[in-house]
Amino acid sequence: MPMLTLRFKKDEKNLGDFVVENGKSLTIGRLEDNDIVIEDLAVSGHHAKIDSVGDKFLVTDLNSKNGTLVNETLISHPRWLRHGDIIIIGKHYLVFAYTSEEDQPEDVHTPLQDTMIRDTEQFRNMRGNSRAHPQSRHGTEKEPVGVLSFLAGGEGEIELTKKLTKIGKNVSSDIVISGLTIGQTAATISKRPNGFYLSYVGGFSKPKVNGDTVKESVQLNQFDTIALGSLKMQFLIKE
Amino acid sequence: MVVVESAGLTDVGMKRKGNEDALFYDDELKLFVVADGMGGHQAGEIASDLVVKTMKDYMVRFSKKGEVEELADSDKTLSKDANRLISGINLSNQVVYQAALKKRAFQGMGATLSAVYFSEDTLIASNVGDSPIYLIRNQEIEALSVTHTVIAEQIALNQNQNSRFGKEYSHMLTRAMGVDETVNPDICELQCFKGDSLVIASDGLTDKISAEEISKIAQSKRPAKACRILVDMANQRGGDDNITLIAIKVKQVLQQRKGMMNRISRFMRKG
Repeated sequence: MPMLTLRFKKDEKNLGDFVVENGKSLTIGRLEDNDIVIEDLAVSGHHAKIDSVGDKFLVTDLNSKNGTLVNETLISHPRWLRHGDIIIIGKHYLVFAYTSEEDQPEDVHTPLQDTMIRDTEQFRNMRGNSRAHPQSRHGTEKEPVGVLSFLAGGEGEIELTKKLTKIGKNVSSDIVISGLTIGQTAATISKRPNGFYLSYVGGFSKPKVNGDTVKESVQLNQFDTIALGSLKMQFLIKE
Repeated sequence: MVVVESAGLTDVGMKRKGNEDALFYDDELKLFVVADGMGGHQAGEIASDLVVKTMKDYMVRFSKKGEVEELADSDKTLSKDANRLISGINLSNQVVYQAALKKRAFQGMGATLSAVYFSEDTLIASNVGDSPIYLIRNQEIEALSVTHTVIAEQIALNQNQNSRFGKEYSHMLTRAMGVDETVNPDICELQCFKGDSLVIASDGLTDKISAEEISKIAQSKRPAKACRILVDMANQRGGDDNITLIAIKVKQVLQQRKGMMNRISRFMRKG
């Protein structure tokens, strides 16, 4: 398992080592409920998180006030982590490193992997009229829009404009994925008055949210990662 | 396929003379509707009755014909079943609206509408007005309806600012059936699971009984018993308005068996 080592910038003092496990998520922030707590006012309550996606790891800035840097670049999108990456948060930094004896995922170095999330503005214009009315006939009040951003198994983003979005093998699904263990309709995402919910419907493969298997239904929160078969997505809410 | 057990009950309450609430529930059709009427001289009763009857007739027509043509004005963001329900609501609105135009005594009448409809494996909840639809799942209660009152919308728009409106606005609706030529229902569709409980009620019930109390009783009792207990409770606490509710329990959700993996899984279960 790779390791995150937390250090204070000034004196480079080691403040702790944290194991990043496959299938688990780690949160970083000022508040007590984070996995990695950094006591510094420049750090947001919930500042960033690390997700396990397949055999790789992803760092996401949780809309923090002062931002998250990876190797001195401010990240606006989730970013894949490589051996030796330095995540800078406030006056602290975290070094992401695989232990010497373990295998590192190979394709992590291909540049394509970094640009899998397409520029949303451009993508939206491209699709333009091909999409159904973004706003249903129900009023004109502004509703938050749920978005699925592909991490693997697809490209770009999908706006959850439907009340019920179907994911599965069936060709009539809104997101079609193949695989022997995937159900005709494997999962659905429904828009309820108080938010978005992901439900397992059928098939051998059950969806996972932040690494936890969904047997029935869970509410989706900002930046949750969703995995189903070869499909990996991140859930975002846009106001 | 979804198997449900339901019960419904309406009561005039302790203070009112007439009952302006109406309800319809049918486990076969899988349609459940509560309407709370408004308007003087029995017009409220007429309005709620028209809403419920029209909804029922419309959905029966669909279920009998089986697969029917796509609706002309269908909303692409909704499933076929949800579109049907919306069409039923639009039609009910028209029926009440036209009736109100024809007769002077009916002028200004209207009703709320809260409906639950089950498709193959989902449940669809839609509402106009302030009659709540509750989903109780894993010990948690949640409203699937959106409250269309002046105060609720004010709060939704501006959460920090406490309501500028007094109590007299508490039941002032921003949307209702039959008051306008068109209506704007809120709708949601979600996966349905065995053990889910639903309660559709008029505000005569929910003004007296908290969501937590409803949740507890709906989970622990069978639908018919739950209805009786909740109506009695509301009456004991004053029964200021008509009291109506439908309690639904999802007994079973049967997956459609399709695809190769399912055949294999069935084979393995046999072996």
